[in-house]
Amino acid sequence: MFMARAVIVVVILFAIALAGRLYRAWRARVQEEKPIHPLVPDSLRAGADRTWVVFTSPYCATCGPVEARLRASDRGARVVKVDATREPHLADSFSIRTAPTALLADGDGNVTARLVGAEAVDEYLRPAARPATG
Amino acid sequence: MPAPAPIDPRGPRFNQAVLSVALLTGFLVDWRPVVPLFAVVLLAGAALGPKYGPFLALYAKVIRPRLAPPAEMEDPGPPRFAAAVGVVFLTAGALAFAADHAGIGWALALVVAALAGLSATTGICVGCEMYLALARRRPMAG
Repeated sequence: MFMARAVIVVVILFAIALAGRLYRAWRARVQEEKPIHPLVPDSLRAGADRTWVVFTSPYCATCGPVEARLRASDRGARVVKVDATREPHLADSFSIRTAPTALLADGDGNVTARLVGAEAVDEYLRPAARPATG
Repeated sequence: MPAPAPIDPRGPRFNQAVLSVALLTGFLVDWRPVVPLFAVVLLAGAALGPKYGPFLALYAKVIRPRLAPPAEMEDPGPPRFAAAVGVVFLTAGALAFAADHAGIGWALALVVAALAGLSATTGICVGCEMYLALARRRPMAG
């Protein structure tokens, strides 16, 4: 009886590990397959040529500093903060799963960069790492 | 209504790890009291708040001071909802044991053990996702 139970426990542990791997693979695939975003609405861009839309959540400790770094580092751009919990439909339309997530929109509303997490923003803002933008 | 105080997300994950290990060990040695015992443990944290859950309190008082501050705090709502779902399953499991349906009792407990283990090791919290899915369907205030 003990052996049968031990086998069940091992199967559960194996299932947990497998589910974790499958979930991570699925998330990675979804992130890769979803670069086609809807246009960033005019109400957020307000006619700016470059707009950072920073999706945040009420308890996100790193969102404020990320917003501040974007404002300080990209002075030519408009920076808009969106609380994903207050704008769930907007957040869903851009497949936002993590706060902060920063989207860079051009003058037509096309998303030209998507940075997930504070580290990605820091990496993007390092001068050597930043792609040339018009 | 004021927003609830944010929590260190590692606390619920520690709680889930203890829950999963305890239920799996209980199943392994066929110690049934572990099911109602952890129903009460989860209920304390879910109904009264994190500081009343013994393992959440253990994390907050003993483990967290030894760790670096969390990079991010989280809304306590989703993990509390997940714990409440766990309470329902474990209570049903305890009732099944009382009615002499040990197979059903352990099956319900193992579902909780598996989901708690999944959340503790990978961060995939099914109960939290249920909470968020329900929250998205709720009309916005104001």
